[in-house]
Amino acid sequence: MATARPGWSRRAQYGLFFSFLAVIAGIVVGVILLTLSLVAPKTFNGVRGAALDVTAPITGALHEVAATAGGMFSGAGNYWDAANQNAKLKRERQAMLHRMVEAKAIFQENRQLKATLQLREREQNTLAVGRIVGSSFNSPRRFAILSTGSTDGVRIGMPVRSPDGLVGRIIDVGALASRVLLVSDRANIVPARLLRGGIPVISQGRGDGTIDVRPLEVGRNPFKRGDIIISSGTGGLYPPLVPIARVVKLDDDGAIALPLADPANTSFAMVQPPFEPAAVAAESVLTPESP
Amino acid sequence: MVRAALTGRHRIGREPAPYAPYVPAASVVVASLVAALPIISASGWYPDFGFLVLIGWRLLRADPWPAWWAAPLGLINDLFTGYPIGFSVVLWSASMLALDLIDRRTMWRDYWTEWLLAAVLVAIDQWLQWRIAAMTGARLPYFTIVPPLVISICVFPVVAWVVSRIDAWRLRR
Repeated sequence: MATARPGWSRRAQYGLFFSFLAVIAGIVVGVILLTLSLVAPKTFNGVRGAALDVTAPITGALHEVAATAGGMFSGAGNYWDAANQNAKLKRERQAMLHRMVEAKAIFQENRQLKATLQLREREQNTLAVGRIVGSSFNSPRRFAILSTGSTDGVRIGMPVRSPDGLVGRIIDVGALASRVLLVSDRANIVPARLLRGGIPVISQGRGDGTIDVRPLEVGRNPFKRGDIIISSGTGGLYPPLVPIARVVKLDDDGAIALPLADPANTSFAMVQPPFEPAAVAAESVLTPESP
Repeated sequence: MVRAALTGRHRIGREPAPYAPYVPAASVVVASLVAALPIISASGWYPDFGFLVLIGWRLLRADPWPAWWAAPLGLINDLFTGYPIGFSVVLWSASMLALDLIDRRTMWRDYWTEWLLAAVLVAIDQWLQWRIAAMTGARLPYFTIVPPLVISICVFPVVAWVVSRIDAWRLRR
């Protein structure tokens, strides 16, 4: 196809013409596929899940290798300056013990208060546990690959958390792996509140690994550096009281926060059923969700 | 033919590998499969390797594969990288067509022209990704596409070099 005319051969000229047609057909098919995946994102769930399953074993195996190698280096690093570290850890442990006793007391009191209020709360049980083995490293969207899939009962829309905090929610499911929309993605909006004072805020990803937090009520900027943002459970998808992020920088009417569950360092992530499945189902009927 | 005389030894009996026609397309698939590596990035500033290798091949040769192969190759890239299905199909086919049309116009070429063409294509790639992210609910500020764009443009010469090495290897040059 490189030259304008491949010579006098009729056959070569036709070949050139048909290859042009084939490319244009390719573009047309692509536009149709793209339109489908933008307008009706659920069309390709099966194919996307299958593709995840194809790459998941490779990603998982390589992740093990990388984690082992990384562990050796950080393990060796821990021996460096071990005495100082030990002393520091002992001090911290002592402090933690005091806090833990306080927390136990508060927990008991809380339980009694809830009992008097007759507040029923669903027990949050973990459906599946997986590792975060990969991510979308070349697009403005923030996705991660989780090494657990529909064989463990994972379904699209379920929230994912790690021991450190909220990771995101499932958007693609294969049999062995699934894709998670991270809290740092622009399209992931989490109803949240400030741990200090309980002011309701909205958390939205910024696409670069950080999170934008804005107060729901316009007024004085309520954030301080170091504030912890926790999920509020509003909307019924994400469970309440899961830590999301720590504020690192203030701006005009909100703040920028770093997710507490850093996908790069999160060893295990837990998939949970939606907090209020009924509410989520009702909402998804009203507004078709885009990935 | 002076150059051939300089390269010297064992020129006779060395022909392209039997699988040589499929090596370019295979290398594009391998580049798409980089997405299967356990790279966990907070910012998403890595280049779109599949696309870089594709335009690397196309700028090196006019016919690395039949032009319509760009569509299935793009589909494979979409599936592995998690782009919306059809995005790479359109972009890759359109790039092949655009480069063919440009080939008819340009009288001569050098490395700078190729780098410029690649930069323009990568910029279109990034801009489209940004537009589609906005359509699917992730409306980001415009300047967020600048760092990945600069990184991709800087990585392109390396990819082009790797592609030229693969080309020499498959043709047993």
